[in-house]
Amino acid sequence: MKRIFRALLGLSLFWLVGGTSVAEVAVIGNAKATVGTLTAEQISQVFLGTSNDFKPVDQAEGAPIRTEFYKKVADKDAAQVKAIWSRLAFTGKGRPPKEYGSSADVKKAVSEDARSIGYIEKSAVDASVKVLLLVP
Amino acid sequence: MKQIRLALAIAVLGMIPMGASAIDLDESGSFSMTGFYSLTGAKVLSGSAMGSSDAWTYQQFKCPCAIQNWEYVGVYEQDKGFQFDQESLVGVQFRKEFTPSLSLVAQLVARAKNPNYNSSPTVDWAYASYSPVDAPEWTVQAGRQRIPLYYYSDYLYIGYSYPWVRPAPDVYGWPIYAYDGANVSYQTQLGKSNWSASTKIWAGGFTQNNDAYDTLIYYTTPTSHSWSNIVGASLSLTNGPFDVRAMVMTYKDSYWQDGADGTKNYLIQDQPTRIMGLSANLDYKNWVIRTEVDRFEQTSLNFIYNYALLGVGYSIGDFTPMITRSQYTTAAEPIEARQTTMLSLRWNFRKDTALKLQYDISTDRSHYSYPFFGDSKLLSISLQGTF
Repeated sequence: MKRIFRALLGLSLFWLVGGTSVAEVAVIGNAKATVGTLTAEQISQVFLGTSNDFKPVDQAEGAPIRTEFYKKVADKDAAQVKAIWSRLAFTGKGRPPKEYGSSADVKKAVSEDARSIGYIEKSAVDASVKVLLLVP
Repeated sequence: MKQIRLALAIAVLGMIPMGASAIDLDESGSFSMTGFYSLTGAKVLSGSAMGSSDAWTYQQFKCPCAIQNWEYVGVYEQDKGFQFDQESLVGVQFRKEFTPSLSLVAQLVARAKNPNYNSSPTVDWAYASYSPVDAPEWTVQAGRQRIPLYYYSDYLYIGYSYPWVRPAPDVYGWPIYAYDGANVSYQTQLGKSNWSASTKIWAGGFTQNNDAYDTLIYYTTPTSHSWSNIVGASLSLTNGPFDVRAMVMTYKDSYWQDGADGTKNYLIQDQPTRIMGLSANLDYKNWVIRTEVDRFEQTSLNFIYNYALLGVGYSIGDFTPMITRSQYTTAAEPIEARQTTMLSLRWNFRKDTALKLQYDISTDRSHYSYPFFGDSKLLSISLQGTF
C-alpha cells in the first residue's frame, strides 16, 4: 500500500513539474539593443501583454522550449498564457506574439528588428543577437 | 430554431482544426478571424422567497429561478430543468490590418437569448485602432466597444479567460454595457522596476431602445435607457503575480417610456452618475485570488449600489477549484440586495478548451414587499473555448 502511494506521489510530482526539462533557454534581443539585461519579470510582462517596451517573438505552440520558457520565466502553463491573451485580444488591448517555427527563425526575426525579443536554446546563440537573460 | 442555429455554429467551430490560433482570410495574413464560445447549461435545484419554497412568479419569470445575466436577462427557471438557451453564445472577431499601426476590428456575437436585438447576432465591438510603430505605448481607438467598467466588464463573454462559468452576476449587470466613442491608452514599464502601468481614458455614449434589463426585469412596459456624456478613466498596475486596477466613470443617466403620442415620459433624465471600481488580484504559484469592490452613485437621488467579490482558488495541474463570495446592496430603502457563494471548478481538458462546473448558493436580501428573484441553488456546466 505504501509503495503504491509512493509510486502515485512520484507520478503526480512528475506530472506537476511537467517532466524533464529541455536545454538552457536564452532570452535574446537585437544585437544593437541599448538594454543590457532584463529581469524574468520584465520579460514575462512583454510576453504576456502588459508591457509594450519590446516586441515579443514567440516559438510555435506546443514546442518544448516554449513550454519551458513560460513555465520558468512567467510561471504559467500553455492554458494560462492562452487565457491571458484571449482576454487582451478580444478587448482591443493587444495581439498575441507572432510565432516562428524554429529557433533559427526566431533568431533571424530578432536580429532584423531592434525592438524584438525572443528566446532560443543557449547553444543556438550567435553574434547576430544579444543575450538578455539566461534561464537555467 | 435559434438554439439549433447556435448548436450548428458551435459544431462547425468544433471542426476547425485545433492549433489554428487565428484563421488567415487572405494570403498576407493581414486579414484574420479568431473567436470564442460558451455553451452553458444550468438548472435551478431549489429556491424560496420570503421564507416560503412555494412556487411564485416575478414579472414573467416562474420561480424558483436564478438570474445569471442582467444585460440580456438570462434567467433559469426550476420548472424548465436544464436550460442551455440562456447564456450560450459564439463570437467571431475579424481584424484587418492596413498598416503595422492601423487596424480595423469587428466582433460579432450570436447569443441563444438576446431580447435586446430580437435574437439577431450583434456587433459587440467595431473600432479602428491606431498605435504608432515608433511609440507603441500609445493606442487610440474609435468606434463601438464594451465599457471597461469593472474588472471583467469588457470580457464578460470571453469565458475561456476567467475561472468561473461567469463572473459574479451580483456584480456584473447593467442596462448599458457598450459605448460609441473613443479611447486613448498608454502602457509602460515603470523605470527599471518589475512593475508596469496602463492607463486608459474613454468618452462616448450609448442608447438602448426597449432594453431588456429595464423592460423585462423592472418595468414590464417597454423602457429605453441612455448613458450620455460618458467619461471614464482607469489605471492598472502589475508586477506579474499581483495586479491592481482602479476605475472611475461619470455619465448622465436617462431612462424613459414612450407615450402613445410619441412623447418620452422620463423616469430619470440626465441624472449625474458616478461609478467607481477597485480590484486586486493575485496569481502566485498555484494560488488564484480575485477581489473587487465597486460603487454606483446617483447622490442627489440617494440611489447607491455597493458591490463586492472575493474568490480564492488553487490550481492543481489542469484543474482550478475555487470558492467565491459576491454581494450587492442598495443603500436606501427599499433595499435590493443579494449574497452568493460560488463553488467552481475549471478543467483545461484539451487545447484552447475549458470545461467548468459551478454550484451557486444565492440569498436574496432585498426588502421588497413582494417576492423578487428569491433564494436559489443553481448548478451550471459550461464548455468554453477560443479559436
